[in-house]
Amino acid sequence: MGRSKAGVPFVIAGKELKLFIKDTQMLFFSLALPVVLIFLMVATFGAQARFHATAYVVNLDRGGRGEELVDRLSAIPELTVEVLDEATADSRLATSEIVNAIILPPGFSEAVAAGRAQIEVRRRGAGGTEGQIAVSYAAAIARELAGECLVAERVKAVLAGMGTFVPGPTVDARVSELFAGSRDNPRITVTEETVGGRPEPVVVFLPGLVTMVTLFSITLGAVGIVEERKKGTLERLMTTRLTRGEFLAGQWLGTLSKGLLQVVFLFGLAWVAFRIFTPASFAALLAFGVIAIVSVSGLGLVIAAISKTPEQANWIAVFFTMIMTVLGGSFFDVSGAKGALAVLSRLTYNFWANDGLRRIIVKGESLTSPAILTDITVLLALAAASWVVAILFFRLRGDGK
Amino acid sequence: MPETDFVLVQDLRKAFNGHMAVDGVSFNIEKGEIFGLLGPNGAGKTTTIRMMATTLPITGGDVIIGGHSVHRNPAEVRHLIGVCPQELALYLELSALDNLVFFGRMEGLSKAEALEAAMRNLELVGLADRAKHRVAKFSGGMKRRVNLAIALMNKPELLFLDEPTVGVDPQSRNHIFDTIEGLRDQGTTILYTTHYMEEADRLCRRIAVMDAGRVIALDTPRNLKSRLGDPDKVTLEDIFLDLTGRRLRDAG
Repeated sequence: MGRSKAGVPFVIAGKELKLFIKDTQMLFFSLALPVVLIFLMVATFGAQARFHATAYVVNLDRGGRGEELVDRLSAIPELTVEVLDEATADSRLATSEIVNAIILPPGFSEAVAAGRAQIEVRRRGAGGTEGQIAVSYAAAIARELAGECLVAERVKAVLAGMGTFVPGPTVDARVSELFAGSRDNPRITVTEETVGGRPEPVVVFLPGLVTMVTLFSITLGAVGIVEERKKGTLERLMTTRLTRGEFLAGQWLGTLSKGLLQVVFLFGLAWVAFRIFTPASFAALLAFGVIAIVSVSGLGLVIAAISKTPEQANWIAVFFTMIMTVLGGSFFDVSGAKGALAVLSRLTYNFWANDGLRRIIVKGESLTSPAILTDITVLLALAAASWVVAILFFRLRGDGK
Repeated sequence: MPETDFVLVQDLRKAFNGHMAVDGVSFNIEKGEIFGLLGPNGAGKTTTIRMMATTLPITGGDVIIGGHSVHRNPAEVRHLIGVCPQELALYLELSALDNLVFFGRMEGLSKAEALEAAMRNLELVGLADRAKHRVAKFSGGMKRRVNLAIALMNKPELLFLDEPTVGVDPQSRNHIFDTIEGLRDQGTTILYTTHYMEEADRLCRRIAVMDAGRVIALDTPRNLKSRLGDPDKVTLEDIFLDLTGRRLRDAG
C-alpha cells in the first residue's frame, strides 16, 4: 500500500473546494451577492455627476433685499432654494430632517442699504458639506448686495459734489442695471473643459468590495474547520495517518482556492463588464490578490483555532470583517487619516489590501513599485503572524495529535 | 502478552479536571475476536476508545495494539486501526464514493488504490449501486453503513465500532451484523460498544461491562448470564441491570 504524503494537503483542499461548489447557498453569497453589490453601488453613487445642494432659507426681512437674495440664490444652477417659515425650519432642524437653515433677519434690507449685510445660520453640527456651501453662496450674495448699495451711495455723493442733481431712485436703478449687466456678462468667466469620462465608480468601489467579500467568505470559511470538529470528522481524520500540519495546510489551501476563485470571478467580471483593466494590470491584480488571500486566510485559521462552536466562529468572523472593513477604508479612503484612526487602520488587513489594489487599478502601478512592495511585505507578515497564533492555539486545544 | 492477544489494555486511566473518567481499566482482546464494551451512559466507554484510538492523551497506564504502545508510538498504532465513531463523521454533501476515497487518501492510499478500496467497501456494506449519490439523501441506516465503510478503508487489523447501529432499521442492522461477522471471519479484531444487549449477545465472544470508569465484569455472554441463573432464560440485559443498577444515567 503506497503512502503518498506530498499530495495530502491538496486532496483536503480539493475536498473543501468540492464542498464549496456543492453548497449552492454559500456559492450564491460568495459570488452572486458581490456582483449585485457592485451594480447597486454603481447605480447609487455613479449617477450623480455634478454637485447639487438645497438651501433652506427663512426670510424674516420686510424690505425687498431679502427677496432679492432669495431670487439670486435661486438663479444658481447648483442650488435649489426652499423658503421656510421660522417655526418649520426649527422643527425640521430639531428632527435632523435638515441640518442647516439660512436666516435673513428682520432689518436685513436696512443693514444691506447701510453696507453691513448680515445673515444668520442655524445648523446641526457643522451643518453638512452641502449646507456649508449654500451658506457661502448666500453670504457672497449678501456682500454683493451691500457692495451695490455702497456704490450707489458713493455715486450719489459724487454727483452731489459735482452739483449735478439726479434723483436717488434713478441713481439706484442705474447702478442696479449696471451690476445686473456685469452679472449677466461677467468680465471674469470660467470655462469648463472635460478631459475624460467621469471617474468610474466601479474603479473606486471595486477594491474595497473585493477585500470585504473575500475577508467575509474566508473568515466565515473558518466555520468549516470548527464544524469538522463538531461533527467528529476532525477526530476521525486524526485517527488516520494525517498529521496536524497536513490538516492545517490542506484547510489553508482550500481556503486559498475558494478566495482565489472569488477574486478571479469578481475581477474577471469587472474586466468584461467595465473594461477597467489592461492585461498587465489584470495579471498584477491577480498576483496581488493571491498575496492578499494568503494573508487573510491566516486570519481564518486563527478564528478556527479560537472558536469552540460554529456559531462562535460565525460571530467572530462577522466582528473581524465589520471592524476591518470600516477601519481599513474599504468604502472611504483612510490613507490620509490622522491620530488613532491612522494607527488602527494600519493594523487591518483591508488597509494594505485596498491600498495595493487601488494603486494597481487607479494609478496603474506595478507590483515592484515601492508602495506596493510595502503592502505585500505587511500582508505576508500578517499571514506569518496569523499562522503562528493559529498553530499555537491548535496545540493548546490539543486537536488530535 | 500472550501470542494470541492483539490488544492489551493495562491499568488505563484518564482524568478530566481531577475527575477520573477512566480509572484503572485493564483487558485484553485476542486476534480475530469481537470484544464487547458495555456500560451505561458516562461509564467511560467512549473515553476508553478515544484513548485506544490515539485521539485522547492517556493520563496513566498504556494500551498495546499489535505490539505498539499507543502512548509511545501512536503513529504505528494508526496504521493498524480503523474507527467507526458513534456520530456520523462524514461529509453529507459529498457522494458515498467521494467520502470513502477522501478518507482513503488520508490513509495514504493513491487515488487508484483509494477508488478500488472504496468500491470494494461499498460493495461490502451493500451500497455499491448508490456510490455516486449524495450521502445527505441517504436513509439513517445507509449513512451508518457509509460510516462503517469509511473505517475499513485502510484494511484495519483492529476495528473500533462505537454504537454502529444507533437509529438503524432492522434490514440495515442485519446487513451491518453480516459485515461485522464477515470481517471477523477474515481475521479482523473488533472492539464493539452498544446499548443493544441482544447485539452484544449475538456478536461478541467476550464482554466487559464498565461503570464509573471501571471494568466491573468481564466474561463470555453465557458465563455472565450464568451469574443470575439459567443462561438460556436470563438475558444480557438482566445481568447488565443487575451489575450497573436501575438508576437513570444521563451523562454523555
